[in-house]
Amino acid sequence: MTILEGPAGAPRKPVIRQPGLLSQMWTARADYLYVLPAIVVMLIVIAYPVYYTIDLSFFKTPPGLQLRDKVFVGTENYTAILSSDVFWKVTLNTVIWTVASTLIAFVLGYASALALHRDFAGRAVLRAILIIPWVISAVAASYIWKWMYHSDFGIIGAVMVQLGLVDRQPNFIDNVHTVLPSLIVVNIWREFPFAMIMIMAGLQTVPEQLLRAARVDGASAWQRFWHVTFPYLSGVSTVTILLLAVANFNSFIVPWITTGGGPSNASHIWITHIYELAFGRQRWGVAAAYSVLLFIIVMSLGYFYVRALSGNERKEDSP
Amino acid sequence: MRNYPLGRALARGAVVSALAVSMLNSSVHAQSVDLSKWSPEYVRSIAGTEEYDTAKECGAVTPLDYEGKLTFWYQGVFEGDPDLLRQYYKEFFEAFRATYPNIDLQEQALTYNDLLDKFRTALLGNAGPMVVRLQILGGVEFASKGYLQELSPEDVGWKTEDFWPGAMKSVMWEGKAYGIPTNNETMALIWNADIFERAGLDPETPPATWDDVVAYSKQIHDKLGVSGYGLVARKNAGNTPYRFMPQLWAYGGGVFDEADPSPTYGEVRLDSDASKAALQASYDMYVRDQSVPVSALTNQQADNQPLFLAGQLGMMISHPSDYNVMLDLQAKATGSDKEKAQTVIDNMRYGLIPTGPDGKRAVVFGGSNIHILNPEYVEGGVVDEAAAKAMVCFWTSPEWSLKMAYAGSNPGNLNGFKTKWMKERLESIKFLDVTTSMLPYGIPFPTLPETPEIMNIIIPDMLQNVLTGAMTVDEAAADAAQKVRDITDGGGL
Repeated sequence: MTILEGPAGAPRKPVIRQPGLLSQMWTARADYLYVLPAIVVMLIVIAYPVYYTIDLSFFKTPPGLQLRDKVFVGTENYTAILSSDVFWKVTLNTVIWTVASTLIAFVLGYASALALHRDFAGRAVLRAILIIPWVISAVAASYIWKWMYHSDFGIIGAVMVQLGLVDRQPNFIDNVHTVLPSLIVVNIWREFPFAMIMIMAGLQTVPEQLLRAARVDGASAWQRFWHVTFPYLSGVSTVTILLLAVANFNSFIVPWITTGGGPSNASHIWITHIYELAFGRQRWGVAAAYSVLLFIIVMSLGYFYVRALSGNERKEDSP
Repeated sequence: MRNYPLGRALARGAVVSALAVSMLNSSVHAQSVDLSKWSPEYVRSIAGTEEYDTAKECGAVTPLDYEGKLTFWYQGVFEGDPDLLRQYYKEFFEAFRATYPNIDLQEQALTYNDLLDKFRTALLGNAGPMVVRLQILGGVEFASKGYLQELSPEDVGWKTEDFWPGAMKSVMWEGKAYGIPTNNETMALIWNADIFERAGLDPETPPATWDDVVAYSKQIHDKLGVSGYGLVARKNAGNTPYRFMPQLWAYGGGVFDEADPSPTYGEVRLDSDASKAALQASYDMYVRDQSVPVSALTNQQADNQPLFLAGQLGMMISHPSDYNVMLDLQAKATGSDKEKAQTVIDNMRYGLIPTGPDGKRAVVFGGSNIHILNPEYVEGGVVDEAAAKAMVCFWTSPEWSLKMAYAGSNPGNLNGFKTKWMKERLESIKFLDVTTSMLPYGIPFPTLPETPEIMNIIIPDMLQNVLTGAMTVDEAAADAAQKVRDITDGGGL
């Protein structure tokens, strides 16, 4: 540490010069050595594919040529994507899918966690039952829902007809207007237990004495929730929402297995469309350009996620 | 069970058959089997007339004591196939291992809809198998990219004339052969005679034209409340083009000129009036009459089979193996369902696929081909050529190309029709006559690298755009035609 002289006449003030980055790294060289294998693995399995995808996004890959014979087209793939009607339709689907799935799954999970936080008979059993959608295979769940939604013989429609709610079997997944909401229901069913578990964990951190003090002060149940519980859960809520949003943005299994993005692209979201472009149509360059755009969005969400985590850590560290 | 009298329909179709045969082959009489005489009677007359010793024939290509290693991917049986076929697949690999005990065979079965995606991905990483058996529309795509070795029947002890000319076209790229047909199939129209009768239709007479299919489907639905025709319009599923293309061709349409005697694939015809008429027929059934399953947009043929067995579907297009599939499904049913299923099986009828308004009858000339890969695209960078040829020879032999197509298809090697197993098959597989009678009407998919995308994505998209009301018939046809033009020009999304 070096103490520098201040300007003439001014009171002397110690100025602390931070050591340089290299100096800091040298000091903590043992730590860097410990994480070096992980960094190398990440460079191989993450950094290189990212680089390759970005590179590929500037090439055209005609069906009659091998990938290595790709043709450089500059930003043509990006232009083609952004000027395509399908892109905007799929983007709208993706936004609806992500926002609706995330928010509704979060609200349901939050409510379930609050309900299960109270002590009542059968709580453990109910908690176990509610977690089932999250733990069972997404592929199996998608097939089951596909059959439950079946437009001719699905059990959901049959029950609705039996109950007199509708005259004929409703068309859930073979209709361009109902297919996306129907799949969002499946996704929410699968994901709300995750939000529930996260919030339940968060509820363990709410100080019991604060809630008791609020009760002594005459606070109603709503006031205790709003002024004590809710603020305490803001950190975990932010993290949960961000995790759900990222997962939904990249959610592939439910829409792909159930409808394959159809009918008429009505349930295509970015990730399924990218898959179809790449593996069904061999438009590797276009799919790579799509992936780069998706990567930028997910990385932005990741930034907020890291910030939210850092914020939580700072709160926990503060006295 | 009553049999459908085929003779009359076949006599009417004789002229058309001869014409179609000549379309398939410019040197008909050079074939191992005389295709100009093709009829159920001719097939019966040659069945069981020759003996083949597979081990001896293939032993001349690869010695039976050869020691080697082979990786092999193939389009295997899936949920829509009968148990009988599973048994033959099992026996095939047992027989190969017994014949070539020193070849370490590592085989992998994939479903029709998964195989292309997985194979393409593996090739990108130079991790393909040494030998692959692909659906008929896949070969040209990979040959054009240089992934496949040149391979002709002569390389494994057979003659080119032993195979269907149309099938050989599907393995040709720039005048060279890159594979050998293992099996070739054409489908037929299947209907439930009991449903026909109850709907006021002649139970023993199938619809003659596609316009009749539309009318029959409506009549069945209006009178009985069940679906008339098993429309399939799922995307990314081979079932869709196999059912829609015969309709498109019958009306005189096409993607290109693939239904013409000498196709050049130079002109896109998806937006022609004839193609639109075919699309309109599907629209009429799904939207106007609502006489087909609503779930057609997400269904595959495997989903139609239980509907048919449950007596909820009047007509569908499928393989002869569907009869065996129905028997398998019926065996699994319990209680009164078993009895109901038996009634449906007793009333199952097979007929020729309907014609278009001008009497044109067409069906997809389907099947599979077997290929050997170039070493640089194979896991480990080496192809065991002798082991690979042993497998190719074995599968394309008269014996196994017949047995592996026993219930659902036809042998790629025409000599398979002359074996004793063909004779046995004619006696045990019901309705085989009908589907073999459809072979001369078979039209191969365009032999272009873009064909898988056209058939698996663009055609189903066109159908879905119309059936969901997202586009009119004119718009959907124009949209699909433009997409085909774009991709053949090397552009488009």
